[in-house]
Amino acid sequence: MRAAWLPTKFGLGSQLLPLWVPFSQQTSRHPYSSLLRAIRYSRRGTIIESRQFVTSLTRRGIAAPEICFEPKDSQKGIPGHARVVPASPSYFTGKPEFTDNLLFLQDLLRKYQTLPVVQPGQAPRVAWKTLAQYRLVVGEPVKASKYHKIVLLLQRLNHIHPSLLPEDVKSAIAPYKRDVNPHENVPNQRTVDRFGRVIGVGRRKSSTARVWLVEGDGEVLINGKPLVGVFPRVHDRESAIWALKATGRIDKYNVWALVEGGGTTGQAEALTLGVARALLVHEPSLKPALRRAGCVTRDPRRVERKKPGKLKARKMPAWVKR
Amino acid sequence: MASQSCWRCLLRCPPSIYPGNRLFSTTPAVLAKPLKAKKSDQAFGAPKKGVKSLRIKKKVAGKSTGKPPAPGERKAIRKRIVLSNTNALEVKGMQDLSNENMADEEVRGTVVGLPGPLVDRLRAVEAFRTGQGWGLFRRPGVLMRGDSLEIAKALEGVESEKKTLRRIYTGERRSGKSVILLQAISMAFLKDWVVVTIPEGQDLTNAHTEYAPLHSTTPVQYVQRAYTASLLSRISKANAPILSNLKTSLSHKLPIPIPRDTPLSRLADLGVRDPDIAWPIFQALWDELTSTQAARPPIMLTLDGLGHTMRDSQYRDPAFKPIHAHDLAIVRHFVDLLSGARSLPNGGAVLAATSASNVPSTPSLALALSQRLHSTTTTSSQQQTLSRLKPIQRNPFIAYDERVLQSITPSVDIVELQGLSREEARGLMEYYAASGMLRHKIDESFVTEKWTIAGGGVVGELEKASVMGVRV
Repeated sequence: MRAAWLPTKFGLGSQLLPLWVPFSQQTSRHPYSSLLRAIRYSRRGTIIESRQFVTSLTRRGIAAPEICFEPKDSQKGIPGHARVVPASPSYFTGKPEFTDNLLFLQDLLRKYQTLPVVQPGQAPRVAWKTLAQYRLVVGEPVKASKYHKIVLLLQRLNHIHPSLLPEDVKSAIAPYKRDVNPHENVPNQRTVDRFGRVIGVGRRKSSTARVWLVEGDGEVLINGKPLVGVFPRVHDRESAIWALKATGRIDKYNVWALVEGGGTTGQAEALTLGVARALLVHEPSLKPALRRAGCVTRDPRRVERKKPGKLKARKMPAWVKR
Repeated sequence: MASQSCWRCLLRCPPSIYPGNRLFSTTPAVLAKPLKAKKSDQAFGAPKKGVKSLRIKKKVAGKSTGKPPAPGERKAIRKRIVLSNTNALEVKGMQDLSNENMADEEVRGTVVGLPGPLVDRLRAVEAFRTGQGWGLFRRPGVLMRGDSLEIAKALEGVESEKKTLRRIYTGERRSGKSVILLQAISMAFLKDWVVVTIPEGQDLTNAHTEYAPLHSTTPVQYVQRAYTASLLSRISKANAPILSNLKTSLSHKLPIPIPRDTPLSRLADLGVRDPDIAWPIFQALWDELTSTQAARPPIMLTLDGLGHTMRDSQYRDPAFKPIHAHDLAIVRHFVDLLSGARSLPNGGAVLAATSASNVPSTPSLALALSQRLHSTTTTSSQQQTLSRLKPIQRNPFIAYDERVLQSITPSVDIVELQGLSREEARGLMEYYAASGMLRHKIDESFVTEKWTIAGGGVVGELEKASVMGVRV
């Protein structure tokens, strides 16, 4: 009987099936199969349903029923001398689930090691489960070095050419992938629209700027106003067009922007980022120059929250004697 | 311990309470030493509640030993107009503004110097203002931008055809409205016109000079005698070379007798000396200047800060109602000439400039200017480009001032000053560099950068970004 190797849902290996197939005859192992807990049978083939701890005769009325030694109808075919053995040979190791998983993946790799592989780095990018996530799934104190062995196997399997990847490999490595693949989270590619505009969005502090950049001769309109109408400070005006200034492109583009939220500095520096991102669509080769000018990375700093017992985020009240 | 005087004894006054006792003292009270302050009980023991015993700040801020400025000194520094910087370089090859080159296309986009005598006369009419950056350069110079050449040509036409040019300059902050007035005044001086200026409209309406009702006027007008005297002083000082050659030709009814053939400069000086007769003298002078019976030069009349004269003034009438600025005699005189109610028979120009930094709330003026600037059938020929000022719709919930709306007649040109062109900006920046105030190679990219930072070549912002902004 091969009921133990029926495919089960990953991580939910709690089907209680009686097994008596000797270990030597098992040809494949299922991950987490040791979770299939063996049920102990008595020598006589009866299931011990409960144990009698009550000795008092007066309590027999509410105690569990007595053991029925007669075989039930469902167990008629089972020979009485069968001994229940663990579902997995790893049952007696310290970390049976992990051992099963490792052996299963090793078997799989041995089976498919002749399949052609892609060049290193050409395989589809996959984020494997982190050690913490894996430990949560298996519920065992797996060491990092041990899990690394699994990850190496997974990477090797992932390098099998995608067009030839067998179904069982696919299904075997799928449970090890993170639920959300961060490598698939790529921003939409901006393009120049039919009017020659590119929109770039920049943020700084609590300001947001939407910048439309077109080829032109250095005119700037922000919220429908000229630069001097928006930023009285020369420094802020320079910040707003810093991406163009740092790359010597002021006289090549016109800026039309909408900026909202935050204060003057935040708005000016949100515009810097917005202009830089739009400029990168027009001229992607400017990226190193813009990075050197500090226009590529979003400054993640925000106002630090106020804490209880303090006047501001960190300011302490003045010391008083008493 | 019981008191020495028992309660019963208090009924009788002790001898020391008798005031007569003091009469026997031979020590005058003033010579007596003041009583020593009683020693504090706090010399020992815990400090009293609320008394600060721990002084964390060891240092006490030292008192400044410098002398505080004398009364009026700070204001004098604030109002002082510096026209020269001896550290700046002399710009070689700079032309002076003259009759020949003022309308010449050759000087477009270059900075021309103001000749020395002209500078004195401009000072006399208070055409220079603080914050215009005159003190940055060796000597005063002005950029001949497109609008400068345009006004120069217009003044030429006025002179030949003896008509009156009426114009209001408006535009955003630091766009050069006051300087274009200065340029027009300079040109008028060079053309030997008579120049009458009101350097700041606010001075007339903020109730800082005395005022009095003018008899035999309905509705009542108010005359500001002291201001009129200072106005006459400006006229007399700045136009002395011309007015001294002009003699009275009309007979006037004045409080004081004046002989015939009095030079007009002498007439003005009479008004300067006695503010009580300043207004009649001003009227007589104006009649003389606009007289057609003798050869009279054209007149240029200018006013800066128009907004303040287009609303209620800070003055009050006897019923304590605000006096409308147009009821002030000097403002009325100007507004009549601006709107076309009065004219200049010998030709001339009436120019006004709004202010964008010292701007009172004048919805009527704003509406009138906006309607003219954004109307499709604009009369001013130079409005080729789009106005940068926001269009204003008539608000039904605002009571507009009809007197103001009617004073901006279609005969008044509205000129909005915009940013410099790149060529003009380049000329200006080359002047900065030649003066040694801007140490940078003036090339295409640099000019464009500053032009953009200056919001599209707004001239004051250009100066701020390139010359004033280099302070370390």
